[in-house]
Amino acid sequence: MSIPDSVPTTPDPVDLPDSGTARLHLQGISKRYGGVRAIKKADITVRPGTVHAIVGENGAGKSTLIKIISGAESADTGEIFFEGAPITLSSAIDAMAFGIQTVYQEPQLFAELTVSENIFIGREITSGTRVDWLAQNAKVIELLTMLGLPASYATKTVGSLSIAQQQQVSIAKALAGNAKILILDEPSAILTDSEIDVLFNIVRRLTKTGVSVIYISHRLDELFKLCQEVTVMRDGETLGTWPIQDLSIRRVIELMVGEALVEARTERTFPEGDPRLALEGLTLEGQFHDVNVSVRPGEVVGLYGLVGSGVAEIAEAVYGMRRPTGGRILLDGTVVEPRSPRAAQSLGIGMLPADRKAQGMFSFQPIAFNISIGHLSLLSKARTWIDRRQESIVARQMISRLSIKTPSERQPVAAMSGGNAQKVVLARETVERPPVLILAEPTHGVDVGAKDEIHRIVGELAHEGTAVLVVTSDVAEAIRICDRLYVIRAGTTTVEFGPDAKQADVLAAASGDDSDLSAHVREVS
Amino acid sequence: MTTTNATTIPPATPSSGRTRGGVARGLLPPAVTGQEWVLIGVLAILWVVLSLTTPAFASSGSIQPLLSAVAPIALMGVGMTMIIITGGIDISVAGVLMVTGVTSAKMLVDHDASLLVAVLVSVALGGLLGLVNGLLIAYGRVHAIIITFGTANLFQFVGRQIFASKTVNGIPSTLDVFGRGEAGRTLGVPHSFVLMAVVVAIAWWYLRHVQHGRHLFAIGGDPVAARLAGVNVERRVLMTYVLTGLLVGMAAVFIVASGTSTLDQSIGSGRELAVIAAVVIGGTSITGGRGSVLGTVFGALLVQTVASGVTQLGWPSELSDLFVGVAIAIAVGADLIRKWARERA
Repeated sequence: MSIPDSVPTTPDPVDLPDSGTARLHLQGISKRYGGVRAIKKADITVRPGTVHAIVGENGAGKSTLIKIISGAESADTGEIFFEGAPITLSSAIDAMAFGIQTVYQEPQLFAELTVSENIFIGREITSGTRVDWLAQNAKVIELLTMLGLPASYATKTVGSLSIAQQQQVSIAKALAGNAKILILDEPSAILTDSEIDVLFNIVRRLTKTGVSVIYISHRLDELFKLCQEVTVMRDGETLGTWPIQDLSIRRVIELMVGEALVEARTERTFPEGDPRLALEGLTLEGQFHDVNVSVRPGEVVGLYGLVGSGVAEIAEAVYGMRRPTGGRILLDGTVVEPRSPRAAQSLGIGMLPADRKAQGMFSFQPIAFNISIGHLSLLSKARTWIDRRQESIVARQMISRLSIKTPSERQPVAAMSGGNAQKVVLARETVERPPVLILAEPTHGVDVGAKDEIHRIVGELAHEGTAVLVVTSDVAEAIRICDRLYVIRAGTTTVEFGPDAKQADVLAAASGDDSDLSAHVREVS
Repeated sequence: MTTTNATTIPPATPSSGRTRGGVARGLLPPAVTGQEWVLIGVLAILWVVLSLTTPAFASSGSIQPLLSAVAPIALMGVGMTMIIITGGIDISVAGVLMVTGVTSAKMLVDHDASLLVAVLVSVALGGLLGLVNGLLIAYGRVHAIIITFGTANLFQFVGRQIFASKTVNGIPSTLDVFGRGEAGRTLGVPHSFVLMAVVVAIAWWYLRHVQHGRHLFAIGGDPVAARLAGVNVERRVLMTYVLTGLLVGMAAVFIVASGTSTLDQSIGSGRELAVIAAVVIGGTSITGGRGSVLGTVFGALLVQTVASGVTQLGWPSELSDLFVGVAIAIAVGADLIRKWARERA
């Protein structure tokens, strides 16, 4: 389905309220990281007592804007006004002093301490040098009551609470710091539906007391339940702010995606035959369930899902990093149970990890080391010493094959750009040509040129017969390189798209809007 | 910051909490934790069994040396507990003990120093060496085990230079007030043990009720979050190492005082492990964020009781190492199981 001709015209954005009456007003913000312009121009105005959503695709500049508001990063240009007065924010502590509090996805709490102590740590109520436990506890109980949470939380240790409860404690902690603006960064990603309802109730109670909430979420259906105003970002710019009643999920997506460029796809013949990798009803309790996916040799299949949808965990389960609790993984029709990455590798499953700094790369080691590690038995003589000459030859072959830009294979990876480093890790995974290759976020944090290169390499690998499973949260990438695309929502495969999927449809499917999906999309049974 | 003035929170009414002994129930971990009760139970059983099997064990001639031996280990353990709560460790304790011990002994022998001077020099010197450790760890941002491994060797070298390849002979009886003899006891209790108990009581209060003491737990739990919460992480970490240095200086005086009139280079050797063993057996989590000085005292008592019991039963002394090793394994295992159970919950 193309974006229908009858797209209802989106009304113009509302006029920004006078910055004098606004709680927070940012004007002409820009931010550069090295050569990348994360934000070209951003303006936003947040009114007291409202829930203000910021939406945009990955890379649109949302997280950078949030970092600037919370003081974690400084803007290169532009001005920030707090209640009408210009301010500078050079650290998170600065922002907190103005009452700008951020609740991060990962609760910043101390597991061994009680909720009461966590809320007041760093700003204890004291009498003399002694911490006044009673006064703190009394305030915490009032705070919890105000948020509609049980007072019994106060004396529990944080480690004994669920993730959702820890998030609620984080909100209480932010409020104890005299919050005037509360930033919630993807708070619902880690929550179940009923937990989300609790969160929404808390947020609504807060706005009644005059607190402004900046709400970041990929789940667009939530905005319509909670927010009053929406600021849309695209390609590092704010497009404007709209009252929520002027928008629909589809219109928000259209604003986010813009005049989606129809990118030239390399014509490919789609393989047929039996799948090399098949997931049948794969389930990991609490993470994902009933996942059905098949990948044929020579096919590039995408798994697209929002943060928290379980998509990352599915890939990890196939690579033996997690143990599924139900369902089957089949390799060429045979049931396999990879129990560790090593076991997965010996079955012929390779994986390019998403977080290459943490999981995939030895930064201070040379390229050759990074490519050969994992294949040392292949490159060693009599399994005792490593054939350095052979290692260099293989490294040089891979460098030229993947067009890695470097003067020598002895160069450490730490000195390379993100895109080149990513290609090094990709090189390692393809030395032995695994029959199945899983790529998690293959171009995350990679510049545009290197992105094209990596997409080309993925195409070549598939052409040579590898079954490629791409896990990505970049919808443009998913559509561009995948022959078929599964959308994961709420921990399961919901919809399967063919090669001519449209960005807006995929986004709508992933964020919970199943209405008017076009004919060539079918529900996964 | 000593108060909060959040507009959204009405003023506190301190009388509204459920109270027991002035502090609302459950606000703090229990005064004596479960693991400490287990230790107390094990100690009680050991003492009863040892008293029944070797009648000499229950005599004052056996108990007093035991308390004298526990005092320096538990005293150093107080500082080490705080360090380990912040997620650090100090393995240079033996080196500091050597430098401060030999310096104070030489002051007594060569300069006829008074008790006060000897104690002050030893404690101040210990604090200085602790400051070296603390500055490197808090501001150098290198892991404590690497830093203190380096300084341990450095301090041992300095200590040997002061010894100048000779034992220190003819140490006068100036320090007897902290010694093993009659002069070192009041009502049968060694002065060193009393002093240690006072320090433990203060540290126990500090770690439970004082703002800065509570911050140590936050640092051990998550240093980044602690910094965001406004905790002066570097300063607090620095102070734990300085405090440990000061206490090691005091412990050195106890050790010199309870020895003979001769001091050789073996002073301090292996003590860092005895101290860490006491802390770990006492229930302080080696990964930081949790612990108590009371447990450390019981841990030190357990280690010494085992050593003393093995000797008095006439068993080979290696068995003492075995039992201590098993106790450490059980303590660390209990901590791991607790963490694992919590993550599963």
